[in-house]
Parts: sequence; structure tokens; C-alpha cells
Amino acid sequence: MSFPFVPPSGARSTRALLLITALATLGGCKESDRGKDDAGPGGPGPDTSRGALLKATGVCVERTAREFHTTSTALSQAVTAWAAQPDATSLAQAKTAYHAAMDSWQVAEVMQVGPAAPRGAAGGAELRDNIYSWPLVSRCAIEEQIVSKGYEAPGFPTSLVSRRGLYALEYLMFYAGEDTACQGTSPIVAQGTWAALSTEERASRKRAYAAVVAREVDLKAAQLVKAWAADQDNFSNTLATAGSGNTVFPTSQAALNSISDAMFYFEREGKDLKLARPLGMRECSTDTCPEHLESQFAHRSKANLRANLKGFRLLAEGCDENYTGTGFDDVLKAAGAEALAQKMVDRIVAAEAAFPAIEEEDLHQALAQDKASVRALHDAFKGVTDVLKTELVTVLDLELPQSVEGDND
Amino acid sequence: MTEQARGAARLWSWLLAPRDIAALVAFRVALGVLITVSSVRFLAYGWVDVLFTRPRYHFTYWGFSWVPALPAPWMHAVFAALAVLGVLLSAGLFYRATTVLLFVAFSYVQLVDVSNYLNHYYLVSLLLGLLVFVPTHRAFSLDAWRKPALRSDTLPAWCTYLLRFQVTVVYVFAGLAKLTTDWLVHAQPLNIWLSARTSLPLVGPFLDERWVAYTAAWAGFLFDTTIVAFLLSRRLRPFAYVVVVGFHAATSALFPIGMFPFIMVTAALVFFDSAWPRRIAARVRALRRRGEAVAPVSVPPVSARPVTALAWAGLAVAVVYGVLQVAVPLRTHLYGGNVLWHEQGMRFSWRVMAREKNGSATFVVTSPATGREWHVPPSDYLTRLQEREMSVQPDLILQLARHIARDFEARGLGPVEVRADVRVSLNGRAAQLLVDPDVDLAHVEDGLASKPWILPAPETPPVKLRPTWRAQVH
Repeated sequence: MSFPFVPPSGARSTRALLLITALATLGGCKESDRGKDDAGPGGPGPDTSRGALLKATGVCVERTAREFHTTSTALSQAVTAWAAQPDATSLAQAKTAYHAAMDSWQVAEVMQVGPAAPRGAAGGAELRDNIYSWPLVSRCAIEEQIVSKGYEAPGFPTSLVSRRGLYALEYLMFYAGEDTACQGTSPIVAQGTWAALSTEERASRKRAYAAVVAREVDLKAAQLVKAWAADQDNFSNTLATAGSGNTVFPTSQAALNSISDAMFYFEREGKDLKLARPLGMRECSTDTCPEHLESQFAHRSKANLRANLKGFRLLAEGCDENYTGTGFDDVLKAAGAEALAQKMVDRIVAAEAAFPAIEEEDLHQALAQDKASVRALHDAFKGVTDVLKTELVTVLDLELPQSVEGDND
Repeated sequence: MTEQARGAARLWSWLLAPRDIAALVAFRVALGVLITVSSVRFLAYGWVDVLFTRPRYHFTYWGFSWVPALPAPWMHAVFAALAVLGVLLSAGLFYRATTVLLFVAFSYVQLVDVSNYLNHYYLVSLLLGLLVFVPTHRAFSLDAWRKPALRSDTLPAWCTYLLRFQVTVVYVFAGLAKLTTDWLVHAQPLNIWLSARTSLPLVGPFLDERWVAYTAAWAGFLFDTTIVAFLLSRRLRPFAYVVVVGFHAATSALFPIGMFPFIMVTAALVFFDSAWPRRIAARVRALRRRGEAVAPVSVPPVSARPVTALAWAGLAVAVVYGVLQVAVPLRTHLYGGNVLWHEQGMRFSWRVMAREKNGSATFVVTSPATGREWHVPPSDYLTRLQEREMSVQPDLILQLARHIARDFEARGLGPVEVRADVRVSLNGRAAQLLVDPDVDLAHVEDGLASKPWILPAPETPPVKLRPTWRAQVH
């Protein structure tokens, strides 16, 4: 900012020079203060907290991706084994592996930064949709693939995401019904090809299909790890070095925004789609709409939400043991907004505490037997998202997702 | 001659004194270029779709709900037309029709959706409206080339005064808008904004220092409130303009404010001596050694023709316009309270970059007949950008609530009541309820009267940030 008056005379120019010198001296003061406060030369530089958060988030996302890759590999192996030797034991092992993979993936759902994010986002490569595309899912599309054996086609890995990924796997492994979700307009109903399949043939195709999907998921998980790994594509470094010269994140604020955009999953998908819709609070003509629950076949809607909250908490509070390490709360504390940091943590803890109150195994039963407890969970989630959408984005000057230029007036 | 008559004569000689047309021509050309560039940007970046054709619902200005939002490709055509008209304005071709069409088209675009309101586009609309009456096409224009009878090297002084008045209003009220404790005592929201920009080269490391925020806040306040005085001083004007350019360059580098700096740098040209383009041209020619200096425009004396009734009527209209331009930004004082919170009188008052405000809104719809309750997120109806704007502006909250009620009724779920749970953080304060959650907004009429269902503003001070380099982050 300039002063509104630049004196033209020589004497005044001298005064201006003195002012500039004074400002430079103040800058010098800052440097020496830093040396006093911190660990001398090489200590944290400017933008310490935001830089530390970016670095920590990169580490966190990479770690989560690796954890998921471990489980996806185990899942692929278990599903392949089940497909090769189908029995109750191999199916149980495959289902256990699925639950482990989904527990891990649902944590990563809240971390759609960079390669996992849609292509329109900074550094986005759409890997998330290729692993798990919910709510963009279609049981009918999967059933049509069963009939056409589309999963055997060379182009299957690039086919519509609604035919692939963890949702398809959940249906193929957990749903044993003989019916189809397709309408009469679908060729498999109109031509009778679904009904023409024997029970054994349908089951056999489901297993083969599942093995292909599980392998694909594992490949995408490997791609995600490769994208983040320091010794490979190193997106961690891209995130940590946001700023001038960085083509993906030209400013640290842009990088911080990409993380907060990812955290908004907790509101849109978590609060609104996974809770409000089944609760009948929106897009529902009856008292409740359990058909809108996320996990229709493995019945793990509650577990998914719990994992989502865990993912959110890892970013908000820190990714190390017991949520220690650098998170948004540390940035807030460093900036002097301790009260807000505490409020955010309190709200997250309150959301966590709402889970044990739902005594049922899954939200399917809970909606029928104790709707109030599910509503309490929704309200607790809202407590978190209210802080996210108001104070957090205000204090850190973050943009809400998909914002465009304005003059802020 | 009576004293009154002598006063009137002095007034008219002041208003009608001939001035070199060159400065206003330069202003015309620059404004045309800006409009063209701005319109092309909207088309190139896809903002026409994002802001105008994609939204399923549009917020309307009170009294202007009849303004239709054109679908694609018509809205794109409007922006293409604006780009062409901008070129025509610069070239000075079909000037009267061009300025009228520009004013109408540009104002139409602003009226389509309140959530797109920006102070600087409102200013452009006003400037275009004024240009309809200021014949800046009488020189250096295709019209003057086509019609020699039109040519004139001078314009009456009132043309300059009118534009100067408009720009003065913007700066002065933008300055007065900063006369708040948040801005001057707490250096907010500047401290928030600057703290988020520490990764900028060179200056970045200092931007989260509190003294920088205070310096910037006071400099901004003093700049806005005093720059016009400096621009009016013949001796200080060149230096003041350097400050104008520097100030707006700095804000452009720091904040995503689009065309605003360019518009203000262009608008400030109206304060320069009316012959400044000729002087620059003369200096350029002298540098190129292409001959003698350009002869200054001979300014004829004011003719002592009797002032017509039409001229008096024109003056009356100008005075009314001027009074309105001063009164409209002041109207918020009729509502009392904190305009940054309740937003009544916020628009058209030049409160540029005055607050950092974010909200979280949920609409609770209930059917009195069945007792059924729905929670409607704004995203069911709005784009993210619209939602961001709506969730902090009570009149838009009301509009959406009434729209939701109509929608539910149209779907056979009505009649319904609509309440709003809206929590807002202003300049980093703890979020508070903005509107009374017990009021059924579906049955509240919008209007200019004070809105009693807006809850009082928070009384706590805004967030106090500190430089983060002082803190060890593990």
C-alpha cells in the first residue's frame, strides 16, 4: 500500500528514503526476532504453520493411500481365491477383506486432494471415482455387465465408473438375490437375458466379474500411491512446495483450498447424502428413506460414516497417533484463533460420541428402531460442518469449493 | 441585473465553459476497451455459463423481478454484443445508439442475478448512463469522421464535472465505509486476507504481521478518503495518479478482484487536465523529432446566449441524480445497526472489500397439515457461488425461502412454512445466527422496510490473528 501523497521536493524525497529505510529496518527486526524465538538459522521460516500443514497433509494422504493399497491387494487376492474356489470360507474371507478395504477407503474419501480429485480440480486425475464412484452408482449397469460379460472386454478398465470399483464389488459379493434392478426398458429385461441365466451361471459370472473389479481397484490404488510417493510422482512435494513457481498450486492458499475442498466431502456426501436423505429430511416422500443409505448390500453405512469422520479428523487435528501431528487446529492456534481450534475439535469429538449412541449394527436397523439416534448423528455432523463453512473458511480466508472471482463486496 | 441573476450567470458560465475534449475522449476509449476485455473474459472463462445460464434459480433485485434471465446461447450473445459495443464505444461509432445499448445491456446483465453484484460493475453501468449525455464522440471518433458537422475540440465543463462527481462519490464512500472499528481498530478483514498471502514473493513473509495489516488498513482508509482532493490539485495530480496506479496494482496483486483496479485507474483519468492526451502526444512527437509542438486547442469564450428551460431542466435532473448518488449510500443509517451484518443498504453504497463473511444455511420446511419436516440445503437450488452469497445476505435468504415454499407447493407438498437456520461468521468472529430461526419466511413480504427478523449483530471484536512465524508448529 502506498501513502496517498508522494512529496516531490528533494528534502521530502530524503524523508521518503528514510521511511523506506525504516521499513527495511523493521524487516530486519523481524529476522532477528525470528532467530530469537526459533531454533536459530534454519528454523521455521515465514508461513510456517500453513507450510507445515501442507507437508503434513501430503504425508497423511500418502500414508492413507498406502494403507488402502495394502488392503486392496489383500482384497484382490481374497476375491481371486473366492472366484477360483467358491465356498463359504473363501467368501467369508473375501467379505472380511472387503470390509477392511472399505474401512481404509472411507478414510481416504475425505482426502480427495490432487490425483484422487476430479480432473477439474488442481492436480486432479479422477482416481477416486475409479476406485469408488458413490453416489454415481447403478446396480442395473452392473447387472447388464453380468449378462454381457462386459468385464471380460479389453476396454472394461476404461468403461463407465458405475460398472466398476468398490460399489460394484459390494454388490457382486454381498447380494445374493435373483432379481434385477433394471427396468423393463433395459435389454436384459426386455430380451429376457437376465431371467435366462441360471442361478449357478449368474453366481459364476458374479465371481469372475468381482475378481476383475478387485484387480482393477488394486491397480488404481497402486496408481494413487505412485502419484503421492516421494520416490515416484511425488505429489506430496507438489503440495508441500505450493507457491511461486509451482504450476499446480501457485500459492500456498490454493493448496490449502484444495484440502478444505476435500474436507467438504464431510458436508455434501456425509451429512447431506449419507444422513439427511435416509433420515427423510430431503428428497424423500416417506418418513425415512433407507434406500438412500450408502451401503445397501454390505450394510456398513454406519462404519463408512465413522471412517469418514476419522479421515476428517486426521486432516483437522493431525495424522499421527491419537490425532497428534499437524492439522488445521495447529494452524488456527498458531494464528491466534485458539478458541476456534478448540471449538472445531470439540465438535468433532461430539460427532464421534454420537456413534456409540446408535446401538444397532447399521443405519438400516437404526432408522427403523431408533431414528432419533441417527438424527442426533446428523446434527452432530452439522455442528462440524457449520464450523467448517463459517469460522474456519473465514479465519483462514479459504474459498468455498467452486468459487469464482469476485471483489469480495 | 439582480444578485440572483448574476449568480445564475456565474453558475452557467462555470458549467458551460469550454474544455478540451481530449481527456474525455481518452476516457471513452479506455472504458470501451475495458468493457470489451471484461466481456471477452466472461466468455473465454466460461463465466457466462457459471453465473448466468447454469443456475436454475436467479435472485432478483427488489422491483426488478420481471427481468428475465436469458438462456444459452442468448446470454452469450449479450456478452458478445457487449464486446462489440465496447469496440464501437472506443471507436466512437454510432455513439448515441452505442452508449444507450451499452447502458441497457450492461445494466441488464447486472440485474439478472443479485448474487453477481459487484460494486465496480455498478459503477460501469452508471458511467455508461452518464456517457449517454456526454458527447465524447465529437472528436477522435468515426462519427466525427463521418459527420464533419459533429466535430468539436471542446465540450462544456459540466461533462467533466459530472464524471468527476461520480468517481468522487465512489472513492469518498469507499473511504467512509472503512470508518469502522473492525477496519481501523482491529485491522480486519485485512489482517485475515493478508495473513493468507504469505507465500507471495518478497512481501509475503511480512503480510501476517499485524503492523502491516494496520498500515494497510489506515493507508486504504486515507487513500480512499483523500485521493480525490489530491487528484483535484493541479500540482499534485501526477503524483496522486502514480499513487492511484500503485494502490490499485497492489490490491490487484494481493486480491482476486478482477477488473476493479483497471476500472478505477481508468476512472481516475477524469481528474486530469482536459488537454492531457494532446500534451502527451506532443511530447511523443517531440521525442520522435517529428516537427513542431502541437498547437493547443483554442478554447472559444462562453457565448452569452440565454439559458433555455431545457438547460435548467437538465441541471435539475443532474442535481437530483447527484442527491441520489449521495443519499443511496447513506440509506443504511435509516436502518441502524451494523450494515456489514444486516446488509440493509449494503449494495450501491461502495462498500468495497469491507468484510470477510461466510455462512452456513439450512432451510427447514414444515407442513402444518402433516407435521412433516424437511431440511433443504441451498445446494438443491443454487450453485456454490450463489449459496455463498445468499448465506450471508438476509434479503436473498428470504427470496430463496419463498421460492422453496412455492416449489414445495408446486410439487403438491404445500402449503408449507419455511424457516432458516443460518449461522454467519463476520470478520472471523464466532458464528452467530443471522436470522430468527422461528420466523416463517415463506409468509414474509420483501420490501425496503427494516427486517425485524434479522438478529442483532455480534458485539464481540473480530478475530485477532498473530503472525504464525512466532509459533512452533509440530
